[in-house]
Amino acid sequence: MVAPATLRVVRCGGSTLHGARAVFSADSYLLCASGDFVKMYSVATEETLRVMGGHADLVTGIQLNPHNHMQLYSSSVDGTIKLWDFMDGIPIKTFTVGSKLLALYALASSEDSVFVVIPKSGERDTFQLVSVKLTKAAGQDLEAKELSVVLDGVDASPKHIAFGREGEYVASVKEVNLQVYFFKQKQLNRFSVSAMKTKSGNNHFTCIACHPVEDCIATGHADGKIRLWRNFYHKKEYTFSTLHWHHDTVMDLAFSIEGTSLLSGGVESVLVLWHNESDCQKDFLPRLGSAIEYISMSSDGALCCTLHTDNRITIINSNLRFSKSIQGLIKSTDVKTGLVVDPRTKALVLNGEPGHLQFYCLQSDQQLFSLDIVQRQYIHQAGLNQADLVKVAFSAQGKWLATVEEREEVTDPELQLKLWFYDEETQSFKLNTRINMPHDDHITDMCFRDMDELEDDSLILVTAGRDCVFKVWMMVEDTDPEAQQSVSWSCDFVGSYHNYQATNCCFSEDGSLLAVSFEETVTVWDSVTWDLKCTFCHPPGKIRNICFGRLTCSKYLIGATDYGFLCCWNLLSCALEWSAHLNVLVLQPDPLSEHIAAVSWLSKESSLFVFKPNEPRPIYIQRNLCKEKIQLAAFVPRDEPEMIGSEKYLWLRRSQLFFLTDTQELMTLSTKSLEERLTPSSKQLAVEESLPVTPFSLLLGKHRRQQLQEDIDLGKLVRSKHEQDSPAVKELLHTPAHVLPSASFLCPIFINSLLISKDNKSAEEVADEVEMESEKTEDDSDEERDVTEMEHEDTSPMELLGEMTHKLSKSQEKELRKIRKMDYSWVSAF
Amino acid sequence: MGEFEVHRVRFFGLVPAGVRCLACQPRGGRLALARTDGAVEVYNFAANYFQEKVIPGHEARSVEALCWAAGDRLFGAGLGGEITEYDLARLCVARSVDGCGGPIWSMAANGSGTQLAIGCEDGSVKLFQVVPGGIQFERNLDRRKGRILCLSWHPSDTHIVAGSIDALRVFDVRSGQTVQRIMVNYHVQKVKRECIVWSIAFLSSGTVVTSDSFGRVQFWDWERGTLLESHTVSTSAVLSLAVSEKEDSIIVGTSTGATYQFQLLPVKMGSLEKRWVRTKPFQHHTHDVRAVAHSSTALISGGLDAQLVIRPLMEKMQKKGYDAALRKFTFPHRRLVSCARKARLLLFQFSQHLELWRLGSTDETGKDGEVLPLCRMPEHLVQLKSKGPEHIYCSCVSPCGSWVSYSTASRFHLYRVQYEGDGVSVKKV
Repeated sequence: MVAPATLRVVRCGGSTLHGARAVFSADSYLLCASGDFVKMYSVATEETLRVMGGHADLVTGIQLNPHNHMQLYSSSVDGTIKLWDFMDGIPIKTFTVGSKLLALYALASSEDSVFVVIPKSGERDTFQLVSVKLTKAAGQDLEAKELSVVLDGVDASPKHIAFGREGEYVASVKEVNLQVYFFKQKQLNRFSVSAMKTKSGNNHFTCIACHPVEDCIATGHADGKIRLWRNFYHKKEYTFSTLHWHHDTVMDLAFSIEGTSLLSGGVESVLVLWHNESDCQKDFLPRLGSAIEYISMSSDGALCCTLHTDNRITIINSNLRFSKSIQGLIKSTDVKTGLVVDPRTKALVLNGEPGHLQFYCLQSDQQLFSLDIVQRQYIHQAGLNQADLVKVAFSAQGKWLATVEEREEVTDPELQLKLWFYDEETQSFKLNTRINMPHDDHITDMCFRDMDELEDDSLILVTAGRDCVFKVWMMVEDTDPEAQQSVSWSCDFVGSYHNYQATNCCFSEDGSLLAVSFEETVTVWDSVTWDLKCTFCHPPGKIRNICFGRLTCSKYLIGATDYGFLCCWNLLSCALEWSAHLNVLVLQPDPLSEHIAAVSWLSKESSLFVFKPNEPRPIYIQRNLCKEKIQLAAFVPRDEPEMIGSEKYLWLRRSQLFFLTDTQELMTLSTKSLEERLTPSSKQLAVEESLPVTPFSLLLGKHRRQQLQEDIDLGKLVRSKHEQDSPAVKELLHTPAHVLPSASFLCPIFINSLLISKDNKSAEEVADEVEMESEKTEDDSDEERDVTEMEHEDTSPMELLGEMTHKLSKSQEKELRKIRKMDYSWVSAF
Repeated sequence: MGEFEVHRVRFFGLVPAGVRCLACQPRGGRLALARTDGAVEVYNFAANYFQEKVIPGHEARSVEALCWAAGDRLFGAGLGGEITEYDLARLCVARSVDGCGGPIWSMAANGSGTQLAIGCEDGSVKLFQVVPGGIQFERNLDRRKGRILCLSWHPSDTHIVAGSIDALRVFDVRSGQTVQRIMVNYHVQKVKRECIVWSIAFLSSGTVVTSDSFGRVQFWDWERGTLLESHTVSTSAVLSLAVSEKEDSIIVGTSTGATYQFQLLPVKMGSLEKRWVRTKPFQHHTHDVRAVAHSSTALISGGLDAQLVIRPLMEKMQKKGYDAALRKFTFPHRRLVSCARKARLLLFQFSQHLELWRLGSTDETGKDGEVLPLCRMPEHLVQLKSKGPEHIYCSCVSPCGSWVSYSTASRFHLYRVQYEGDGVSVKKV
């Protein structure tokens, strides 16, 4: 465990889900390998319930323990297999294998061993399937060195090996070869398809699935065909039939639980259901958003889930109806927009699906919504240039959104600037103005004048373009009476400087100054008269980033150049205040404080520097932030300032810093440990919803209600809150049955908790410690409880207030509720 | 190498006749093929699928069904309503018997080759006894409305299954009664369209295999009248069906030109439960595949595009070689063109007429591969129509070009051709 005082780099989203197929647990949870973690989602609510961390590298395979469906095996590139109790998120055992593990398979028929794919020692790029004997010795960390090779020359991808009916055989594909090994007969059959390249591409194997009850193997190919192999225990008389619908590579295949139908998916983002292995009977589920990477079925066959290349998980009903979508940070091909924070929702805004803008909620690791900017059908085809979103900017209150989209054409780019207005009624952005070709060349930067106090019509948008000008756009009243909107945007001023390309633009905090960088020079303009005030230059190197200081440091302008200089200019004296040698990739000012974060890239590691512009010494340095290159960063304001003990981390008090690496993983810096970060409410939820409605629970609920009634009758405004979730009962119900102590031990506690205690105090003392813990969790669901209490009041207003016969007015009711909420525990002391 | 003038003869407009039906000789090495113009050809498997015999067609005689019976006797039946026996030695019709039931759509011989069953337009199934020197009418089976399009005997010769429109019926041979009637159309829920059972096969296990106009291949249990399996192989009709002798493989031909193989495969290794699985699709034809046959080592299909395709089964082949190669018979394996070398004439033989052409000539010379300009275009001299309903069997022109002869199955004709300037006159000798 990390000491709470140190700052940790925490991955908080966007980790690739492509390690392995997802696994449905027996009680409707979905488990996914996500980066170094195993994530557990609730199928019913789409929520991330638990993140199980412990592996030091990418998780490559997860499988339920075939002998205990509450346990999960996971394998990782770090060479360990972990056995988890995923309901509690506890690692039970760790088996160290030693070499990299690239895929994991667990079979019901093999008693105490699992199968993994490891690289063959001494040879590069050759892999073998081995079975690992998992010793049953006591202790947490165990060595698992008993390996026996099953198949040689297999492929590293987990999709290229499948185990057949009841573990009778294992089939593996690599390039154009299929090999099937029968465990009992110890017979190895090899088959191959002709390596001929056809018009529609090569016919290499891409994935494999085995029929659950029959001897049938389905293989997917790079040319979009699916072959169904039968009779493969005869070397010669094997036979196969072909199903063909996909136009491109079949990415994954899965048989239904009974084996009557086959699911296939590919880059077309269409899930195809083949009935009875027939070419003519098939059903489709189209428009799944992006290419399907993995398909998995739940063990009861009621659900299937697809993992997509953009990190989305789609849950699909067995009748091929879209059911739910779990989407965290959508991985787009290229984040061109940068990380922008929506001032309204505090969501992170960046490229999502092609042509869409995603609003990503950091707290819940969920996508809030996706705004279609380009509004054109996206066609999945290689080498097709399609319009994509490149720049986005919000006005200070999030009332206006400006987007730039362009179509990658070398000679003549197609540009569009769109301005969107936030419609309060529909709670979404509405297109206000569309400007075709705002610049003659690519737009490099765009910003709004951030002025909180000024009225709407003074809003100014500045765009900088590679056509050597920057343009100022202003809102104008629409004179056309037939126009549906009152305002629209038009160009107000065009500025240029020595015919250099404009690369960056930035407004000062009060909005009076605009800084525009033209290659090596920074120009500062008056935003009222549009006069060029002064220029700054610090050769060599073009300006990469500029930003103004804030609050007490608003007289400084910071710029980072190509050749590794960070410069700070004083705007009052128009002189260079200080400069530092630093190869800055990202320069990000905190909107709520003076702090500026700079991320550098030196000798294959990223480092973070936080400084104030008024002093050249950084406040905080974190070397080796992560191995990947950090592309983008953003400060996200916290809802409420966090209590931070150490002086060193004061800059994190009001906002949180997020990074996006080039593998599109979102990271943040946190002072808390992992366990603390997991919100207790989600833990609570996991248990609450797994609780089935049993006669007992109904009885318990009824009893509670009666109890409440009695309390009210007695006229005692007891804190029913506490009694409702008596900790002992909760403990009893929420702990898995197999870890509970004996019933005789529990019985008195349970009975006690149900008793209406005359001596409330003593009961409290018993459960005091537990209560203190549960206190925290209750706060979250406080509001819900209020509602239920409200209802109760309505049903029995008479009993509540004995002599009051007339109906209560709204304000009185409110007053009463306030009283109820107040703590009267001191009363019981008397 | 000497110098040659190569004529590109593009004026021989022969339209080959499509393949109508195929019949493999049971336990024998020969395949009989009937074309839509009534011609019957016999191929020999042992001799590298050599076209052994050709019996020319007849204007009034079409062949709808062929079958081998009593060893190596070949019978044909057609829409003319007659059953004909072919004399394979003299390559002509040996004798023919009227079926008395209108046009005959189907014919099948029983396993021992002693009886023939025919299915007629009027819905009757008639049995004929094969006797030395002919066939003899034996009895009528239970008659119902609706033409009988296909027939198949149970290998034990006790039952016959007949496919008709919308239904299939099973007859008990001994009593002649219909013992089962299965409606085929039942499972099509849409608008009521008639479902034609194009082809049928009776397996020894009691399973009846049908192929119908909805593109389905269905397996029925005849005793219970239930559907066992249904495979939709095509959106268009499945026209033909053939079962291998071991009854573990079926070939079907569809009207899109594709053929599919079905195999009876064990569901699990070592288990007795077996299931029919559609395995290999082949697309060798451009038009309807009207006839298929299953030899012990190959899938044979013939279509309206006049092609005969023999696709060997790779798993039955011991080694790669000439036997394992795919064969396609796309053009007629007969001499249809004769040449009068001196007079530079070509004689083309069609089924009912002859054409005499004079080749074009040039007076220029050129290099190899060069196209020379013609100074005289090829000229159509004579079209000679044959008399009578019989098709021309062979024809010839003399080297000097003044004699043309042809023969049909019964007659021989000789003509003298005289050239008078530009005009040509033909005189019968």
